[in-house]
Amino acid sequence: MYSKLNTELEGPSMAEISETMGTESSPTENNRNENSETSIFDHKTMRKTKPGLKRLTLTLTVFFSFLLGLPWLLKSVEIYRSPLPFRDIDSLSNSIDLNPFLYPCKFHVVFVNLDHSTPIKSNAEELGFLVTSHMLRFADGNSFCGTCENNYTVSVSLDSADNCVEHHEADSGTAWRCGALSEFNFDDTLKNEEALDDYLESVVGRNRVYTVVVVNTGEGDRIRAVVGKYRHAWIVGRVSEVDMLAEKAAEIFIKIFVSGLKEEESIQGEFMPAGADGKIVLSFNLLNADPRDWIYDWDFKEVDEKFLAPTLEALSPIANISVESQVLYHTPKSSYSYWDAEQESHVFSTKDLPFFVNSNEWHLDTSIAAGGRSKILQFVVYIPSANECPLRLQLPNGEIPVTNGFISPTWGGVVVLNPPNCLQNVDSIHPRKVSPQELNQIFEVFMGQLRQLFGLKSTGFYKGTSGTSVLLTSARGFTEWELDVLARQHACYNLRQCGATLGSLSRLVQSLPRMIIKDEIGKQVKFSLEAAKLAQSNASHGIYDASAVSSRHARSLAEDAFFHPSVMSVSYYSFEHNFAVYSPFFLPLSLHVILAVVKEIKRYKQESRKYAAWKAVRNQISD
Amino acid sequence: MARLLSVFVLLVFVLHAASESTGELVEQLDEEEFTEELLFRPLPDRKVLSHFHFESRVPPTNSYGHHHRLFPKAIYQLVHKYRIKEMELSFTQGRWNYETWGGFDPVSSSNAKPPGVELWAVFDVPPDQIDASWKNLTHTLSGLFCASINFLESSTTYSSPNWTFQSLSANLRYGSLPREAVCTENLTPWLKLLPCRDKSGLSSLMNRPSIYRGFYHSQRLHLTSGEFDPITSDHGIVLEQTLTIVLQPDALETRARKLQPNWSMNSLFGKTVDGKCALSKSSNVYVQLEGSLVHNMKHEGDEGFRGNSNFEFSVSPDTIMKEVNSFHKEHSTILYSFRIKDSHINPFDLGFKWKLPVTWSCVKAPLRVSRFLMGSGNEKGAIALSLQSTEWSQSLPKVDHNEEKCRLRVDVFQIVPWYIKVYYHTAKVYVDGVPQSFGDTIEKLSVSPSEDKVSPGVMEMSLKLPCDLKSASLTLEFDKGFLHIDEYPPDANQGFDIPSAIISYPDFQTRLQYKQDNSSIKSPMVSKMQEKRKILSYTEVLLVPLTTPDFSMPYNVITITCTVFALYFGSLMNALRRRAGEEERLLKEKDTKSGKLPLLLSKLSAKLRGRPWDPSTSAPPSSPPKFISSKVILKIVLIAAIGFGWQYYG
Repeated sequence: MYSKLNTELEGPSMAEISETMGTESSPTENNRNENSETSIFDHKTMRKTKPGLKRLTLTLTVFFSFLLGLPWLLKSVEIYRSPLPFRDIDSLSNSIDLNPFLYPCKFHVVFVNLDHSTPIKSNAEELGFLVTSHMLRFADGNSFCGTCENNYTVSVSLDSADNCVEHHEADSGTAWRCGALSEFNFDDTLKNEEALDDYLESVVGRNRVYTVVVVNTGEGDRIRAVVGKYRHAWIVGRVSEVDMLAEKAAEIFIKIFVSGLKEEESIQGEFMPAGADGKIVLSFNLLNADPRDWIYDWDFKEVDEKFLAPTLEALSPIANISVESQVLYHTPKSSYSYWDAEQESHVFSTKDLPFFVNSNEWHLDTSIAAGGRSKILQFVVYIPSANECPLRLQLPNGEIPVTNGFISPTWGGVVVLNPPNCLQNVDSIHPRKVSPQELNQIFEVFMGQLRQLFGLKSTGFYKGTSGTSVLLTSARGFTEWELDVLARQHACYNLRQCGATLGSLSRLVQSLPRMIIKDEIGKQVKFSLEAAKLAQSNASHGIYDASAVSSRHARSLAEDAFFHPSVMSVSYYSFEHNFAVYSPFFLPLSLHVILAVVKEIKRYKQESRKYAAWKAVRNQISD
Repeated sequence: MARLLSVFVLLVFVLHAASESTGELVEQLDEEEFTEELLFRPLPDRKVLSHFHFESRVPPTNSYGHHHRLFPKAIYQLVHKYRIKEMELSFTQGRWNYETWGGFDPVSSSNAKPPGVELWAVFDVPPDQIDASWKNLTHTLSGLFCASINFLESSTTYSSPNWTFQSLSANLRYGSLPREAVCTENLTPWLKLLPCRDKSGLSSLMNRPSIYRGFYHSQRLHLTSGEFDPITSDHGIVLEQTLTIVLQPDALETRARKLQPNWSMNSLFGKTVDGKCALSKSSNVYVQLEGSLVHNMKHEGDEGFRGNSNFEFSVSPDTIMKEVNSFHKEHSTILYSFRIKDSHINPFDLGFKWKLPVTWSCVKAPLRVSRFLMGSGNEKGAIALSLQSTEWSQSLPKVDHNEEKCRLRVDVFQIVPWYIKVYYHTAKVYVDGVPQSFGDTIEKLSVSPSEDKVSPGVMEMSLKLPCDLKSASLTLEFDKGFLHIDEYPPDANQGFDIPSAIISYPDFQTRLQYKQDNSSIKSPMVSKMQEKRKILSYTEVLLVPLTTPDFSMPYNVITITCTVFALYFGSLMNALRRRAGEEERLLKEKDTKSGKLPLLLSKLSAKLRGRPWDPSTSAPPSSPPKFISSKVILKIVLIAAIGFGWQYYG
């Protein structure tokens, strides 16, 4: 086969040889012309036949089939990567970075009986501008994530005995029923502010509009500002100056309703987010420092139902909160306390607090029921042993606080419960129960600690630039406007985190081109983006809690995608590995193929030149 | 079968009052309970068995709620998250010596465990979710106990025994890790589940250096829950934690080597008990003397409460319980119990002092079991399970009442990893060295062969052996498989472990019934002993060496194959492309000018000298005969070189 191919391929040149040999042996008539041709034929530089194309085509075919096979090979060793919407991720994180979303906030000021004794004939529009200008002043430099910034509307109602004036900046859906407060007796409001609060709620409580009602009673010498547990406040008293009133209303709007008593951007330090999966576990622990002295037990089931359930329900838009409890024994504190004769108790000071929590002996533990990314807040009731019995916390100024507890930001809170008459040596080891009164007190303190951990103050009043406002508290622990503030902040934080997580996921994926990305991750990213969009649209419509819920989903999905186990696995081969595997085959092979192609092309060119030379000579001769 | 039952009646310590004991178990609780107990038993080989037993009980959730005072939160959450009906986890170091430490009593049959980690669990979930629950459970437990239990996650490491291991339960999963090392980091989380941890009470005896110095150390956690079962929903969750240690007391008095060593809590553990754990309902220490020991002791004079002429306690026991309904009246065991009070003026330190030398032996399991490997090389081998008779089986009646041969039933449960490819058809049973037919000896057999990289091979077998056997053996041949390069552990040369096989005797049940006066507090450990339980024993772990590859092999293989392919392809390419005729012609043309050989030679010499070849300097043509001879010489030299090389390297 080989030789046959050879003869076939080499046909022209062989024929050429025999021809030249034949001319010598048998000269004929016909060869005369050829003789003259052969005389000038130089077989080193010329050839009579066209050079064959077979071998060139063959080598070129091999070469090109290799080139064509290359993409197929690359495709076959490709790693499956689910397509991620990189562009959407980028646009989301950009939009979050550029405008941290702005909630529309609606404010409504109601002036009741204003023209009663004031000389100034104010109309509603002027008053509206007045309030707005004050608000601008307050809002200046006080805009962090989760506030309204300049996206607010102020409407004003004037209600006097004879006429009612309303001014709306936009379609804010606010309406004040004229003379609604006329039947309310303000004389004893100081006593039953709760009643007024509930009454006002029945009058204005709709539509997520923050309302300040200014009532001019025309008597008394000082005005009293109260913030209710819903979304409204009222200012009652003798109104002398409208400007001052407007300033006060604006301050209540901005400092209390919008930013929830937070000063500047201290949010980073104080703000405590829910866990990455949108869950918070409240773990309540009763620690008996030494059960040989006394053993305390509590009726946690009752507490859970009575105190915690309403609060958790109120907080449900912000985080999915679950409660668990345990009683631990042999858990001494790890800081020192000393006997203070003046206080008749053992005293530990604030500088000992970092060492109070004894992480070696307090096996508070994370929860198995909660996922790995949940936020766990530990609340500890510490019952001291007999030798440190009335144990009290001393503030740096020497005072003994009533709560006898402290918080550790993002960790939880501790309350020390001293057993009654522990100074008299009561020698009964039988389990005692924490009495319901004590339990009440403890859980009030815990509620305050929880509020503090969430970044809310529980002082009960607010001292602003224009006087003090009283804050009413809710039985649920969190008032409506506080929940609004929390919902806004959490939604904002969650969306930022979601954007950041998705952004880093997309950067990671793009930087590792050989990393496997499962379909599941793609799905999670997609759903996360959808939830984030929903959160944004809810926010722009002013539905705070729905926005918080969907932002929570967006964040937890983004975290799930980022921490997906398949991303963690070592299924990523380096380029060097590929090189080591493929080079032993492809390197020698490509050398062969390329050399063959180069040689054949060279030869073909050379031979064609020879043929061209011969053709030129023949043409010359025939001419 | 009726005959069998009568044998069973003779052998089992007690048969009656089964309903009573079960009635006690399902007793309804309305309070959480915690009890701590410690059992000491002198062993015949001068060692002492200490067995800690802690039990926490919680009433069911639907009546009690999910906030607890004593019960560990972690375990409660575990039970509810994975819907566990029953679970047992054990960490063991050392091997229980069935020969000298006994294999028949309740303590050894429930607390002798295979080395490493053993975990089994019964779930109350639909069958398709069991594997997922098991996987999650292994991960949680490995986090909870700081152990690599998560290696049991892979389906090649666990299996679901059908009938040998436990009662018929399709929801059971069983797995073991023979190579897991056990140390303090596993004990600390285990202690965390006790309300007093090791701060007070009996657990304060657990001095780490002394308990890990022992000959055998097994830490066990067993939980049963009736939370999800509508029938036993008033059962709640019972968590039983035991620690079994075999320690050698320091024989300080060399006075009499014949005497068993005296021991006390302090000499065994280096610690004493200050008082009971304040949370425990009862806190008792027991000393158990075995029946044969009691029998062998000299009974002279009146037995004092503090001991008798043979031995003496340093503290007088509160109650003495004698085993009742024992088959041999004189072989009944005695249990001395000591109650630990809230606080002792002096630390409680129980001492045991021998006065007279005595020897005895423990009650052994019906058969002595050992398992070993046969064969050599890295290709194949065989597993052999050898069963030897003990005094117990020798005491069995040879022939039953109805002249029918007495039969002894033995259940074998064995898991073999997939890389040991067992040929189950090669199973052979020998009784007293005589091969037996399958039908005669094997009553029931279920085998699920291993599937490569998916599931292990599981064999469950019920053997029926004659009672008068001296020895029996079961052999199975296997081939050693090849693992993928990723599947080798870091220390591949050490070999691979085959987990222990479980041998059980379904006809025998062990139970110790003590006469308990009603006034004394009911002890969970004693009631545990009174429960009827199957006799189990574990065989040795086998170590199989597999061929360990050179781990650079894949790259070598890639390189060699690629080179061969590249050579083949290159030569094919050349064959297609080369113009042999043209080259020949060119050579011929050159030949006309000079001889072929001088040309070659000059080319070669030029190459050797590293100079460009110049045809003009070529040597004059030489005669053909010389050329032939040089060719022959060259060939000879080449063959000699090959021969030398062969000799040298071969």
